[in-house]
Amino acid sequence: MRMRDLKKWVAGSLTAALLSVCFLSGCGSDGAGKSDTDSAGGESPKEMVLFTWNEMFPQEVLDSFEDETGIKVIYSNFDTDETMLEKLAQAEGGDYDLVIADDYIIESVVDEGLAQKLDQSKIENFENINPLYQGQFYDENDEYTVPYGAGIPLIVYDPEAVDFEIESYKDLWDERLEDSLALTANYRVINGITLLSMGKSMNEQDVSVIEEAGERLKALAPNVRMIQDDNTQNALLNGEASVAFLYTSQVNKVLAEDPDLKIVYPEEGLGFGIMAGFVPSNAPNSEAAHQFLDYILQPEVGARCFDFIGYYSTNQAADEFLENKDLAVPDSVTEGEIIQNVSEEADAAYNKNWTEFRAACD
Amino acid sequence: MEQRPECTGGSGGQEMRKKKDLWSFTVVPLYVFTIVFVVGPLLYMIALSFATNREGYGVDWIFTLENYKRILDPVYLDTFLQSLKLAFTSTLSIMLLGYPFGYFMAKLSSRWKSRVMMFLMLPFWINSLIRLYGWIVILQTKGVLNGSLMRLGIIDEPLKMLYSYPSVLLGMIYTLLPFMILSVYSSAEKLDWSLVEAARDLGADAVQAFCSVTLKMTLPGLLSGMILTFIPSMGLFFIADILGGNKIVLVGSLIQDQMTRGSDWPFAAALAVVLTLLTTLIIYLYRRITHTSELEGLY
Repeated sequence: MRMRDLKKWVAGSLTAALLSVCFLSGCGSDGAGKSDTDSAGGESPKEMVLFTWNEMFPQEVLDSFEDETGIKVIYSNFDTDETMLEKLAQAEGGDYDLVIADDYIIESVVDEGLAQKLDQSKIENFENINPLYQGQFYDENDEYTVPYGAGIPLIVYDPEAVDFEIESYKDLWDERLEDSLALTANYRVINGITLLSMGKSMNEQDVSVIEEAGERLKALAPNVRMIQDDNTQNALLNGEASVAFLYTSQVNKVLAEDPDLKIVYPEEGLGFGIMAGFVPSNAPNSEAAHQFLDYILQPEVGARCFDFIGYYSTNQAADEFLENKDLAVPDSVTEGEIIQNVSEEADAAYNKNWTEFRAACD
Repeated sequence: MEQRPECTGGSGGQEMRKKKDLWSFTVVPLYVFTIVFVVGPLLYMIALSFATNREGYGVDWIFTLENYKRILDPVYLDTFLQSLKLAFTSTLSIMLLGYPFGYFMAKLSSRWKSRVMMFLMLPFWINSLIRLYGWIVILQTKGVLNGSLMRLGIIDEPLKMLYSYPSVLLGMIYTLLPFMILSVYSSAEKLDWSLVEAARDLGADAVQAFCSVTLKMTLPGLLSGMILTFIPSMGLFFIADILGGNKIVLVGSLIQDQMTRGSDWPFAAALAVVLTLLTTLIIYLYRRITHTSELEGLY
């Protein structure tokens, strides 16, 4: 009886395994066949898959692009840059036509060969790009990317609830701010401002210095009310926190709600981030992606986009059409430091700092 | 099964063959499902936990024990302790609240039973994330609860309730309580009340009768309820993220962090393997101690 059951089980599982292998490989070859016909089909399909965060384009821009070109934009979301890279790597640079993501991850994308060189002859408005945002570490010769908005995380506080003037990152450690600080949740950014407050670089590679920053970061724990990446600014509005370290879009949102809040450009220096669009190496419809990039580089369209996303304009020609004039670059932005990929050991140390810090906050 | 005639032909044999066809027809999909969606991912996860993380992005298939060694770092061991602590506290609170609820629910008239059941099920129609955000509206400093308490004159200053351990515990209890209630209820409903009456007739007082009859008969429900709440509470990290302001680091959130921001899949896999082993061990010990082999609704 037992032996028989075992045999049955083995037979059953073998059949199942065989079936699943057939099923999976069947799927694989099917998918490949499909993309082959797509690219060989001459006439480009009237669809473009855009892969980026939620709410990166005003709907009217997407609609008017479709009206003008007949290309329908399929909007696909990701939460974090890392998720994007995972999905793009799994699709082997296919499936998506245009991706907009952060600077540091684009370096990985280019290294992995997942991006294709842009055909600048197809992007007439390429020269509208503010040169400040060009020649960056992730794309030194501007071959792969078109920048789309820049951000500087800043400190915002409620002067009524804080009885001293905050001027630097260092002030966040002040004990008068106990249990009243809201932070965004990017481990590199938070480690980075800790390093800046020590007069070091945000991209420190020396593990002993990073560990020192970890100790310093732990000392910040008593002041932390909450750590969250989405809608962190709400903590200032609903009274949970009196000081917040916010991304640019969140700074804009919170100032629109409560103009009495104060912005701090920390004296130790600024963190600086650029979002940029690139075309994946095996994009099914790269033609449409180039058309779209050219479209959003038009001065008026660009201005509408930056007003919508609330990031600094990376398009010089668009600056004069901005409704929110604060989004045109102030001079200080040139001094910003961009967070870059670091060595495996340094990254593990940053990760450890972050986990230790969060655990210390409880 | 042993009496099955081996290929004797005739009508009896045909019937058997039909049965056999039916057997494979119904069971093979189950095998396929289990292998593709349970065994496969599990083996992949175990293999991944011994692989080396590549600088930047991806995995090199070079055998290493480094990922497991890293877990021994006090920082990461502490997240396991935190998770266990939260899982135990929430399971215990849920048991204390859910057992009486399920027990008395079984004693209601059938009309009220279905009404109460309806109320229990109603929240499931709404996405659990949205319900948790509802708790934020209630608990926040300028929220509903603080507002009411201040208007009633009970407190003068708003309390900082959100982003604290109790609010995480509250979220856990809120999310998992129905599972306990339902399994206790289904056990208590099957209880033969005449046994309790018999115990009383034979001289047991109410407490003795409850302990020796009711509790024992409803134990399978209670135990399966505990397992149904304990296992998810080891992994439900989003409650700690949303109601705890990301300040309590649970293994689940650490794994998610390593999968996404940290982009270290092998380490995440090693954490997941240890978590799985830990949960299995606890359930095994638990069943050894309580001597239960049958669990209501689970087997």
